[in-house]
Amino acid sequence: MARGKAKEEGSWKKFIWNWEKKEFLGRTGGSWFKILLFYLIFYGCLAGIFIGTIQVMLLTISDFQPKYQDRVAPPGLTQIPQIQKTEIAFRPSEPQSYSPYVVSLNRFLEKYSDTIQKNDLDFEDCGDVPSDYKERGEFNNEQGTKKVCRFKREWLGNCSGILDETFGYSSGKPCIIIKLNRVLAFKPKPPKNDSLDKDVMIRYNPNVLPVHCAGKREDDKDKVGTVEYFGLGGYSGFPLQYYPYYGKLLQPKYLQPLLAVQFTNLTTDTEVRVECKAYGENIGYSEKDRFQGRFDVKFEIKSS
Amino acid sequence: MDQEKSEICNIKVNGTNFEKVDNEMAKKDDSKEKKKLSKRTLKKEHQKELKKDLDLNDHKISTKELEEKYGTSIIQGLTSTRAAEVLARDGLNVLTPFKDTPKIIKFFKQMVGGFSSLLWAGAILCFIAYVIEFSKDNSVSMDNLYLGVVLIIVVILTGMFAYYQEAKSTNIIASFSKMIPRKALVIRDGEKREIPAEELVVGDIVEIKGGDQIPADIRILDSQGCKVDNSSLTGESEPQTRSCHFTHENPLETKNIGFYSTTCLEGTATGIVINTGDRTIIGRIASLASSVGQEKTPIAIEIEHFVHIVAGVAVSIGIVFFIIAICMKYRVLDAVVFLIGIILANVPEGLVAAVTVSLSLTAKRMAKKNCLVKNLEAVETLGSTSIICSDKTGTLTQNRMTVAHLWFDNQIYRADTSEDQKAQSFDQSSATWASLFNIVTLCNRAEFGAGQENVSIMKKIVIGDASETALLKFSGIITDDVIGKRKRNPKVAEIPFNSVNKFQLSIHETDDPNDKRFLLVMKGAPERILEKCSTIMINGQEQPLDESAREAFQTAYMELGGLGERVLGFCHLYLPEDEFPDTYSFDIETMNFPTSDLCFVGLISLIDPPRSTVPDAVIKCRSAGIKVIMVTGDHPITAKAIARSVGIISANSETVEDIAKRLKIPVEQVNKREAKAAVVSGMELKEMSPEQLDELLKNHSEIVFARTSPQQKLIIVEGCQRQDAIVAVTGDGVNDSPALKKANIGIAMGFAGSDAAKNAADMVLLDDNFSSIVTGIEEGRLIFDNMKKIIAFTLTKNIAELCPFLIFIIAGVPLPIGTIAILFIDLGTDVIPSIALAYEKAESDIMNRKPRHKKKDRLVNHQLALYSYLQIGILQSVGGFFAYFTVYAVQGFRPERLLYLRPFWEDNTFNDLEDSYGQEWTKYQRKYLEWTGYTAYFVAVMVQQIADVIIRKTRINSIFQQGLFRNKYIWVGIASQIIIAVILSCGLGSITALNFTTLRIQYWFVAVPYAIIIWLYDEFRKLLVRQYPGSWWDNNMYY
Repeated sequence: MARGKAKEEGSWKKFIWNWEKKEFLGRTGGSWFKILLFYLIFYGCLAGIFIGTIQVMLLTISDFQPKYQDRVAPPGLTQIPQIQKTEIAFRPSEPQSYSPYVVSLNRFLEKYSDTIQKNDLDFEDCGDVPSDYKERGEFNNEQGTKKVCRFKREWLGNCSGILDETFGYSSGKPCIIIKLNRVLAFKPKPPKNDSLDKDVMIRYNPNVLPVHCAGKREDDKDKVGTVEYFGLGGYSGFPLQYYPYYGKLLQPKYLQPLLAVQFTNLTTDTEVRVECKAYGENIGYSEKDRFQGRFDVKFEIKSS
Repeated sequence: MDQEKSEICNIKVNGTNFEKVDNEMAKKDDSKEKKKLSKRTLKKEHQKELKKDLDLNDHKISTKELEEKYGTSIIQGLTSTRAAEVLARDGLNVLTPFKDTPKIIKFFKQMVGGFSSLLWAGAILCFIAYVIEFSKDNSVSMDNLYLGVVLIIVVILTGMFAYYQEAKSTNIIASFSKMIPRKALVIRDGEKREIPAEELVVGDIVEIKGGDQIPADIRILDSQGCKVDNSSLTGESEPQTRSCHFTHENPLETKNIGFYSTTCLEGTATGIVINTGDRTIIGRIASLASSVGQEKTPIAIEIEHFVHIVAGVAVSIGIVFFIIAICMKYRVLDAVVFLIGIILANVPEGLVAAVTVSLSLTAKRMAKKNCLVKNLEAVETLGSTSIICSDKTGTLTQNRMTVAHLWFDNQIYRADTSEDQKAQSFDQSSATWASLFNIVTLCNRAEFGAGQENVSIMKKIVIGDASETALLKFSGIITDDVIGKRKRNPKVAEIPFNSVNKFQLSIHETDDPNDKRFLLVMKGAPERILEKCSTIMINGQEQPLDESAREAFQTAYMELGGLGERVLGFCHLYLPEDEFPDTYSFDIETMNFPTSDLCFVGLISLIDPPRSTVPDAVIKCRSAGIKVIMVTGDHPITAKAIARSVGIISANSETVEDIAKRLKIPVEQVNKREAKAAVVSGMELKEMSPEQLDELLKNHSEIVFARTSPQQKLIIVEGCQRQDAIVAVTGDGVNDSPALKKANIGIAMGFAGSDAAKNAADMVLLDDNFSSIVTGIEEGRLIFDNMKKIIAFTLTKNIAELCPFLIFIIAGVPLPIGTIAILFIDLGTDVIPSIALAYEKAESDIMNRKPRHKKKDRLVNHQLALYSYLQIGILQSVGGFFAYFTVYAVQGFRPERLLYLRPFWEDNTFNDLEDSYGQEWTKYQRKYLEWTGYTAYFVAVMVQQIADVIIRKTRINSIFQQGLFRNKYIWVGIASQIIIAVILSCGLGSITALNFTTLRIQYWFVAVPYAIIIWLYDEFRKLLVRQYPGSWWDNNMYY
C-alpha cells in the first residue's frame, strides 16, 4: 500500500513535469503550442460568430423604441426617498435620524431645479393646468431631439424643499415624492368618472391620472390623519401633457411629473402603513409586484 | 514457498496500513487493531488451507470405529434424542448463504457514492447560506432553503432509482437459486423415515438411490452398483462408482465417500453421515468463494475516474471563482451561493440514471440472447474481456457422446456430429456395415424412455450410459425401427460391460427365419476385442486376421485415439447350428459358448463433439483480440482434439510436443518461443511457480489446460489477472465458485450450473453455450462505446450551465440561468436523449478491434473531456448567451447596458432602474425579465442539445453513414426534449417557484444557427479524423 502510494506520487510529479520527455502536464512544448494555437483560432472564430450574430440581432431592434414592453408595462409607482424595506422611521428632534431621507429627496429634486430647465431648446412650458397628451410625432430622430415639458419644483409646495429644507421631517410632517415609472410611449388613461371612491373624486380632472394615499389596513386609516397633495395645479395626480415619453435618445432631459404627499398629522410612536395608489384604466396592480401602480410605505415617528 | 512469502508480505503491508489508520485515530484501541490483523491472517491461512487438500480420515477407519466415533449404530441408526442433541450442537445441515451486504447499506452506498457527495455538499451550503441570511434578517427569501431541499430530493431520488435498478436485476437471479426442499431417507430409532435433509446430523444412517442428491458428506457402508456424478466437485464428467472399499488416501479420490450435493446416478447405497452443512467439502469450498475478494468491475473504475475528473473540475472552478468573487468584493454569502451554482452546474445529475438505465437495457437485450446478467456493471466487463477461460464440457461441446468416426473395410468414415446428425454421409452399401450396424443395434442395453413416440430421436431421453446412448441414437438415425429390430432378434443371453472384462456381449436369435443360428455380438475395448478375433470382415467376407490386417487396425486405432476419441471395437460370431440348437441354454456364469476366434467387424469412435456454433465464435474472439483458454478436467489428448476442432488451437499452430515430433528431437531441445500453442496438464501446473505460469501465459497465445482440478482454475485466473487481463471464467461446479468469484466476470451455466456457481457468478448463460458469451462481448463493447457518447453528450451542457455563473460573477450581468432550470435540463430534457444513445448501433465492426486496455483506453479520456468541455460546450454557452442577450435586448436592455448592472439589478430598493431606452423597471419587473432570460437560455441549451444528441450518434462516421433515422429512440428523445421544454415554459410558467416564463415563439429559434454550427463543426471534425488517421487532429479530436 505504502509503496503504491509513493509510486503514485512519483507519477503525479512525472505528470506535471516529465524530464525524460520534456513534457509539462503530459504535453511537450510543441504540443502545447499547437493545442493553444488551435484554441486561439477556435475561440477567435467563435468570438467573431458571436459578435456577428449579436450585431445582426441588434440591427433588427430600433434605437428609439423597444420591440416589446410587456414586461415593463403597466408601469410601477415609486416614491422618493428610496429606502430599505420601505420604512421611514425617525425622530423629529434628531436631525441625523432623518437626514438620509432629506439627502435622498434633495438629490432627486436637483434635476427639477429651475437652473437646469432654463434652456429653451430642450424645454417648453406646457401650462400650469392639466391638459391632454402632448404628441410629438414619430419615434425617430428625423426632427432631431424632441422638447420636454418643464416641471417646476415650486409646484411641490411644502414638499419642494424650498420653504422647508427638511421636507417637513423636522416638524414630524414627512413628505414623500411619488412618480410614475417612465415607460416609453405610455399614455396613462385616467379612470372613468364614476368608477372611483369619493376620496379620490374630490379633485377629479379628466387630464390628471389620480393618485391617492390612505392607510393600508382598516386600523391604519385613522392613524394616517390628514394627507396633503402638492402637484401641478394642485391636483393629486399626474397631468397628461407630460406623456407620452419619447425615450432617452429623443428626450434626454425628460422630467416626469411628480406628486408630493405630506402627512401632517400622523399618529406618533406607532407603525403606520400607508398605501399610495394610482388609478387609471391602463394602470394595473399585481399581487407579486408590490410596486406596480401602487406602493406602500411604513411610517414610524418617534415623539421623544 | 514463494507463494507463502508473498502472503506474509501481504499481511505485513496490510498491517502497516492498519497502523496508519490507527495513528490518525490517535491510537485509540491497540488490541482492536491486533484482533483485526489476526482475523485477516486467519482468513488468509484459512484460504490457504482450503486451497490445499483436505484432511479427513473417516474413509480410512473401520465401520466399528465410525460407530464409536459418532455414537451411532449401523443397524438402528441414531436415537431421536441423540439426533436432536447433535442437531442443537452442529446446527442445520445447510450451507450458510453468501453474506450479502444488507439492503439498507447498499441503499446508503447509492446515496453517498459518486456525485451524490457533491450534491450533499451543495445542499449543506444552501442550508448554511439560508441560516446565515435568516439570522440576519428573518424575512429573507426562501430560495436557498428550497434549493437545498430540492438537491436532497434529487440525491435521494437518483439513489433510489439506481438502487431499484440494481435490485431488480438481482431479483431475476434470486428466483433462479430457489432451492427445492429436499428429503432424506434415514434410519433412526431402528426405523426408516423420511425427514427434511436440513435435519440430518453426523452419525445418521442414510439410504440413497439413483436420482437422489446426496444430502451430506457420507461414508458409504454398503452399495449396490452405486454411481455418482462428481463433476461439480472434481470436474470429472465420468460417473464414478461408489463402494464401501477404501481405495485412496485422498478423501476426494477414495471410492467410499459420497459428497454433499453430488448426485447419485444409479444404484443404491447406505452411508453414515460424517459431515453436515458448512463443514462438508462443498461447504468449505463455498466459504472459500466468499472469502475470495472480488475485484472492482472495470466500468466502476471508469465511472470513478470520470467522477474524479468532473468533481475535480467542479471543485477547482468553484474554489477559483469563490476567491475571485471575494476579491471582487462580493459578500461571502453571495460567493457561497455562486459556489453552489458552480457545483450544481458541474454535476451531471441525470447521468447516473442514464448510465444505469442503459446498462439495464443492455442487460435485457443480453438476456434475450441467453446471457443473464446478475450485476449490471458486468455488462460492460464482458465487453472489455481480454481472456476467456472456458470449460470444455457442455460449454464448448454438446455434452453428450456422439459417434464421430467408423472404421470398417480398412477405411475410416466420418459421421455427422452436428446437433441433429441428419447428414450421415458415409458409405452404407457395404455388407460389413450391415453387420456392424447389427452389432451396434443389438449389443446395446440402452433404451428409449417410455412415452416419447413423437419426440425426435436426438431429443429422446435414453436410459443407459453415455456411450450406449450415443450408439443407440446413432442407430436410431440410420433406421427408424431400432426397437423393432431388437424385437425381431430376441436376446437370449447377455454379459454386461464390466471393468475387468472390458467387453459387453449378447446372444440373439436372428430375424432370418431360414437361419436358425444364434448370433453372438460383442463390443468393447478394441485391443480386447481384437484378441478374441481370428478373422476380420472385409466387404462382407470373412478373411483371416493376418499381420497386415492387424497393422491396419493398429493404425486406425491410433489415429482415432489420437483424435481424443473413445474407440470401441465390434465383433460377432454366428454360432454353428449343430452345436447350439434352438433349445440350447446359455449360461453366462460358466460361459458355455465361444468367446474367441470371433470375426472382427469394425471400430466406432465416440466423442463429445463441439457445438456447431463454437468454431465461429472462437474465430470471432480471435479477431476481437480475445484469448480463449480451455480449462478442463479431461485428458490432454481429448482436450487438444476438441481445442483443435473448435479453433482454440488453430490449424497451423503447434505445441512444443508437436514441434519435437516433427523435427524428431527431444522435447527439451525445442525453442519454446516457436510454439504458439501449449497443452498443460494439471500435474505440470502444480509444479509451476507463479513466474513460470506468467511466462507460459505470456508466450503462448493458444493454451489448453487439461486434467486440472477446479481449484487450479483459481490459480489460472490469478495468473491471467497478473497480465493485466480482464478475465472471464465459465464454470458450473461448486468447486468453480472461487474462480468465478475471483474472475472479473464469472459466468455460470444455466443448465448444468450448481446454485453455488450461479451465486458466485456475475452472469448466467441460459443455454450453456460458448457462443452466447461472444454475443455478450459484442453487447458489452457496444455499451462502452455508447456510454462514451452518453457522457460526451451530458458533459457538453455542463459548460453551458457553468458559463452563466462565471460570466455573472465576472461581468456582473443579470444571472442568465437559474439553478432550478439547470436541474430541469439535467433531470428533465436531457435524460431520455441520453438513454436513447444507448440504442445506437455500432459504427464499425467492434469485434474486429482489440479489447480495450484497462489503463490506456479510458471511458473518459482527455480528448472527450476537452472536446465536450472546451469546444462544443463553449459553443453551446455562446449560443445560450446569444439567446439571453436577445430577449433582454428586445425588452429594452441592450447587451452593453447589462454589463456590471448586477448590484442595481438585484437591489430591492431600486424600483425605477433605467434600461437602454430610459424606461424604469421595478424590481419584480426585472425579476420577471430575468426569468424570461432563464427560459430563453434554457430553451437555447435544449435546442443545441438536440444538435448535440445528433452529433453524438457517431464518433468517427458521418451522421449520414450511420443513418439519421436508424435509431428511432433518438427521435423519441428529441421529441421529449421539446415537449418538456414546452410544458415548462407554457404550462408551468405560472408556478413562480420554478422561475419559468412563456417565451414568444420566435425566440425558441434564436439558438438554431448555433445548433447548425455545432452539427457542421462536428461533421468537419469527423471528416478530418476519417481523412487523416494518425494526424494531430485525429490524436486530439477523436474521443
